Amino acid sequence: MNNALGYMGEQNMLFAIMLIMGFVGIIALFFALFTPTRWQVPYSVEIIFAAVIAIVTFGGALVSQKTVNEYWADVPNMDELSKISGKVTIDQGADKFDKVVSAYLFQWGFIFINPDGSATRNALSVKPGERVLVHVLSNDVIHGFQIPVVGLTTEVDPKAVRSTWFKAPKKPGKYLIQCMDYCGIGHHQMKAWLVVDDGSDDDDEKQGAQG
Amino acid sequence: MSSQYEYHKSLKWQPEDMLSGITLKQLITSSDARLLGIKGMLLAMIMLGIGGAMAMTMRVELMQPGIQYIESKPFINAVTIHGLIMVLAFSVPFATSALYFILPQTLGLKKMEMSWAAHMSFLSLLIGGVLLFISRPDFTWSFYAPLSLRVATDMIWMAHIAIILVGISEFLGGFPLIATARAWKKKSGGKWSDMPLSGWSALTGGLFLVLSAPALSVVGVYMLTDYLELTALFDPARGGDALTFLFMSWFYGHPAVYLPLVPLVGVLYHMLPRLLGRNLWSHKSGVYAFTLMFVVGFGVWVHHFQPNFTIHSWVNFFFQFMTMLIIVPSSLHVFNWVATLWQGPISPEARVSIPFKFVCGAIFMIIVGGVNGYINGNIAVDTSFIHNTYWLPAHFHAMFLGFIGMMAMAVFYFLFPYMTGRRFNQGLANLHFWIWLPGIFAQVMLMFWLGMNYFPRWVVDYLPLPEWVTGQFWLSIAGFANGIGFVIFVINVVISVRNGEKFEGDPWEFPDTSSSSSATSPKPAE
Repeated sequence: MNNALGYMGEQNMLFAIMLIMGFVGIIALFFALFTPTRWQVPYSVEIIFAAVIAIVTFGGALVSQKTVNEYWADVPNMDELSKISGKVTIDQGADKFDKVVSAYLFQWGFIFINPDGSATRNALSVKPGERVLVHVLSNDVIHGFQIPVVGLTTEVDPKAVRSTWFKAPKKPGKYLIQCMDYCGIGHHQMKAWLVVDDGSDDDDEKQGAQG
Repeated sequence: MSSQYEYHKSLKWQPEDMLSGITLKQLITSSDARLLGIKGMLLAMIMLGIGGAMAMTMRVELMQPGIQYIESKPFINAVTIHGLIMVLAFSVPFATSALYFILPQTLGLKKMEMSWAAHMSFLSLLIGGVLLFISRPDFTWSFYAPLSLRVATDMIWMAHIAIILVGISEFLGGFPLIATARAWKKKSGGKWSDMPLSGWSALTGGLFLVLSAPALSVVGVYMLTDYLELTALFDPARGGDALTFLFMSWFYGHPAVYLPLVPLVGVLYHMLPRLLGRNLWSHKSGVYAFTLMFVVGFGVWVHHFQPNFTIHSWVNFFFQFMTMLIIVPSSLHVFNWVATLWQGPISPEARVSIPFKFVCGAIFMIIVGGVNGYINGNIAVDTSFIHNTYWLPAHFHAMFLGFIGMMAMAVFYFLFPYMTGRRFNQGLANLHFWIWLPGIFAQVMLMFWLGMNYFPRWVVDYLPLPEWVTGQFWLSIAGFANGIGFVIFVINVVISVRNGEKFEGDPWEFPDTSSSSSATSPKPAE
């Protein structure tokens, strides 16, 4: 699993806590079923257990919220954006990002509007390591916008603008972008490519890495 | 309730041949709670078969990348029918029907209150199910608007009506549970906290049904009027808003996962003391867990979608925190079960009994499926790889197939002697269990793995990436295994209903073995 949002460390911690909880539960069940020793669990154990679970869950929520807040810190004001839905100018928020594009999602494909006004269909071209802000819009039904290689998933409702950003992979290549919400019988065809291009002319080597 | 076991023993559960000599008319019109339960469970099992057949169709197609056998449209029909059937027509009716069956007797009552509502509920569900099959919807079980307003075949309005009817069915289905719990209070005059836990599950499960299901009907009504172009609440192209739909439908959609869970948890609390021949570890803990689950369960529904940009971040934090908090009551239930198993010896007879095995399998799967709720609830991780990848089906298949499916089988095997007066075939039932436990576990784990590799939901065709191809192939194998397990179950029931051995005495009352603490699990006797 790759994750370019920058919270891989915290995500691993949450994963570790999840695995520990699961193993403790399963081991306790196996002890209860298969060992000869019988144990009358004192009530205090359950109180401690519930307290630990409550603390761990609250801590997890705080960690997640901190990450989310940090992630959104540079993204332009969402309230402003949603008021002018459908009319996002592509330079909004440009000062804090290397590249700002709009992505129009439709049944069944993607159109990307680049900073120079040109449009590309089902392909988004970025430079390695670039910070890219994407204003995602849908013009028909609820779509999803997912780039597996950078660990980004966004759900977008029609009429709303969802601004989201990612850090492009360092390695040049062609990476998958896909729709994540069921959007009709062509849903499985709704794919695009994130083309990371370092400017060299050597096109043959770009086919290697896929999401 | 210091002696639940003595109490259950005093109820004198006896095998009874309820089905031979009964006409279909009697089965359908009788207000006997047990016949109502049998009726609902039989319909639910038929629905499970249909939903399972849809799953097999999907698994055949997904075994290899590319489109081999069916096109996208019929594939999505199968996905939709599978999802709607399994959630709305198998899980919820089975769980409530199983509770109908045991509730009056466990509460020491002669009959179930408001059984007319259970009749209406059954009828409404039956009509809704038929309409659903005729309309052949292709908008997935969550029927997101505006898609569900536009994908119409000419008969899609039937699916909208079916949704309304299912909402009515669940709304009515909750009343007998609440009314019967109240009847216990009136009759015994005891404190609410002394009510047996099956009564508590009836009370909270009934309230869940009654309070959440109207939202589903309202969504169905607006979908119908939107489709008929009388309103435009959910259609952004005509001034509506998809978010309105999301907030409304998931207000039903999240409590909906507790609709089958809570009654089956109650049945589990009834089964464990009877199979083990001793009391639960703690009655109070179960009461607290039911209450807390009910309170928190209504405050988490927004985690099903991403409303990040239209609501304030503290609202998001609230729902995230509530979602995480629901782990507490759920794990209190699991804690109680494990502590009950641990506190005394498990008799060899109980150990080899089929319902006990399925109960243990269900507890195992609820731990597997439950702990990853801790990951799913985090918005940060959700926006990374969880939202609508296979991770999500993995989570709810662990819960719906792993816990609710296994518990449904445990309940059915448990109640089989009380319904037919006969024993089922022990060998076939063992085969069923030993196919299902590894089959479901493998299926769930493969789905988790595919989810971590960003495999999207609802696709008929996928890129031939190595991890996707491998995962889907073995997932299909695991799915087929589970299908075979179900077929074995059906064969077992069909054979045993006619030819099973007749017997007397409570089949699940095992001799007290508190002196010998046997640890080794003996081989099944038959």
